[in-house]
Amino acid sequence: MFGYRISWAQLAWFGHRLSGIGVLVYLFMHILENATLAFGPDVYNFTQTLFRNLPVRLGEILLMSALVYHSLNGLRVIVMDFWPSTTRWYRPLTYGVIIATIVAMIPMGLIMITPYAPWHRI
Amino acid sequence: MAAQGRRIWPVVGDPMRRNPSRAARPRPAEPGLERFMWYFMRISGVLLLLLALGHMVIMHVLVALTGQEINFAFVTSRWGSPFWRIYDLLLLLLAMIHGVNGARIVIGDYVARGGLRGLLVGILLAAAFVWLLLGILVVATFDPNTAKFVGPFS
Repeated sequence: MFGYRISWAQLAWFGHRLSGIGVLVYLFMHILENATLAFGPDVYNFTQTLFRNLPVRLGEILLMSALVYHSLNGLRVIVMDFWPSTTRWYRPLTYGVIIATIVAMIPMGLIMITPYAPWHRI
Repeated sequence: MAAQGRRIWPVVGDPMRRNPSRAARPRPAEPGLERFMWYFMRISGVLLLLLALGHMVIMHVLVALTGQEINFAFVTSRWGSPFWRIYDLLLLLLAMIHGVNGARIVIGDYVARGGLRGLLVGILLAAAFVWLLLGILVVATFDPNTAKFVGPFS
């Protein structure tokens, strides 16, 4: 895909950009969606029904993962930019960001998917 | 010079001009807008970590856990408190500036300096300005009592 052997550094950097752009695109859509509040309860409540289905919920879980990854990786960037001696833990910190994102997303993803999951209201 | 630990970036010159994180730009050498934005991204980043993740956890995890649903009544009660309006305004403002500056830097990395870059960044800034204005207007002026008389559908 990149034409050469990719490192975790490049992957972390690419993921940071991809998740950032993704969240920005969502922000633009979110502002438009919220602007329907000005048209009153009927219009807004109708708009919200468009967001209550499985594909949108999966997108929201993806959005949450992007935000969690971008936050944790951004924190790592800040720490390493202001305390350059931490660069000697570059690999553990990068792996830590990826592992923490996955660990955080397991309970949050389960809670978010529950209304659409087969185990709901058993 | 003996290697110290696992250095991943050449350690030469002004220490602050190194790019230790390798996930972002090195700090711009000269004072000015670019350096201001370098600091802004990091400071707003820490604030957004609390504001944006807090917002997402409340709206998507806690709402799902308590079996509530987001509708007009939910927003009316939430924005009935000045705390949440200010929270949402701050989140909107910081997220938009942080996101648009990030997108501007990404455009700058892939499009060579010149007319096309200027055009793309111009469109980005213009869209961001309009959307930001719309967002601020919605959060700041929302009134459940007058909302229904504004729209063409009611």
